[in-house]
Amino acid sequence: MRSIAAKAVVPVAVAVTGFVVVASILLYSFIKGDMLNSAIQREVNLAGIIVKSTRYAMLHDDRESLRNIISNIGEQSGVEHARIFNHSGMVVYSADLGEVNQLVDKKNAGCISCHEKEEPATNLGPMEQARRFTNEKGHHVVAITAPIYNEPGCSTAECHFHSANLKVLGTLDIGLSAEPLRATLATLGWRMAVFCIMVLILTVGGVCALLRRNILLPIINLVAYANAATRGNTDEPPPGGIDEIEMLGKSLQSMALRLEQKDRELESLRGRGGEPASTRPSPPDTFAG
Amino acid sequence: MSERPDPSGEQLNSSRFDRGPLREEVRREIRRLHQLSNRGLWGLAIFILLSLGAQRNFNFLPSFSEGARAVLGAAPPVKLISIALVVYSFSALVLILSRMMEGTETYRGWSHLGYLSGFYFFYYYAEALPDNFWAVFAAGITILSLEYYAIWNYCSEAIRTEKELLGKLDE
Repeated sequence: MRSIAAKAVVPVAVAVTGFVVVASILLYSFIKGDMLNSAIQREVNLAGIIVKSTRYAMLHDDRESLRNIISNIGEQSGVEHARIFNHSGMVVYSADLGEVNQLVDKKNAGCISCHEKEEPATNLGPMEQARRFTNEKGHHVVAITAPIYNEPGCSTAECHFHSANLKVLGTLDIGLSAEPLRATLATLGWRMAVFCIMVLILTVGGVCALLRRNILLPIINLVAYANAATRGNTDEPPPGGIDEIEMLGKSLQSMALRLEQKDRELESLRGRGGEPASTRPSPPDTFAG
Repeated sequence: MSERPDPSGEQLNSSRFDRGPLREEVRREIRRLHQLSNRGLWGLAIFILLSLGAQRNFNFLPSFSEGARAVLGAAPPVKLISIALVVYSFSALVLILSRMMEGTETYRGWSHLGYLSGFYFFYYYAEALPDNFWAVFAAGITILSLEYYAIWNYCSEAIRTEKELLGKLDE
């Protein structure tokens, strides 16, 4: 880990990788939340449309029409369940005939939000009306419970017996499959993962390539030049590349040339003095390559 | 590193007997640097332990009572916590990289451990920890790994210098 490449690349790679992963996870979480909220809002609107479209049949106590409407809705692809409870919690109409006339526990998910306290809540926001669960078939479901409110037309209708002070007459419970949403999120997750990997390859690869081209190769050439100059070979020009390395190379070259000149002067002085010319001492260890 | 007299020059020329306390001081400094370097590993280990609890949504802890929630008030919106996490991660990484550039021996892993525990707590309190666990975990691992790398890198270089010094003193 003493090489310049490791020292420069490791912190950059760790910082970029970590931050991109954190940002991607949070972005995915934001998008997931937005898509889920949007799906719930659509489902609340759908529940409102169903309640409105059954209003006429309810006012005329047309139970056969209501049964047909709920049954037809339940047959649509993507609809996991559709049912209407009365205010006592008994299933009055359901796409699954086996559920009809069964009482629902008020502590169940979807009921508890209103029946948490002694006096049941009559108004809930769209997000509080929604619940997510896995049904007995193993399908992921987003369900909405929409209250069916008492209206002046209901309490005053001849056929009916609802008292005017009863605020909620019943509840529509509709559950849609969350599988399309999950498939979209899974695709989004994969695409984000691929995008992250591409960003990382480009960033880390780019830093590595630039370091190698601009720093590592000139340094390797400089080390080779320094080793050659130590052995007395000063014929090669100093390596170029970047300004600092070039200046260092030129300094090494001038130092080697001066040393060579001094050697020659020393030899000529020794020759004039009648001493045998000694050879230049062998260079010390070369620079690490 | 602690201040101490320059061992080069006069002191190296003194007798081997006089170099004993200096050698001991260098050894003590090497031990201190090893301990400093290990702090990064301790920080990472504690964070991983904390994350193991967070991954289970701290189900071994008692849940907040109504009274406690009333005292603490409403949880901040999850989006705000996430934005704070992004801002914190970004600034922490920039600060660590700049400290690496300066080459200081400070280790700030303990304070990061505190901030990251805070994020786990806020997500837990907002009942959004399962959805956001991996974001905090990735941020923590990145920040503490980089802190560890920075301190390890600094200590390795300092230990190498000290060992060279010790070698010269032993000559």
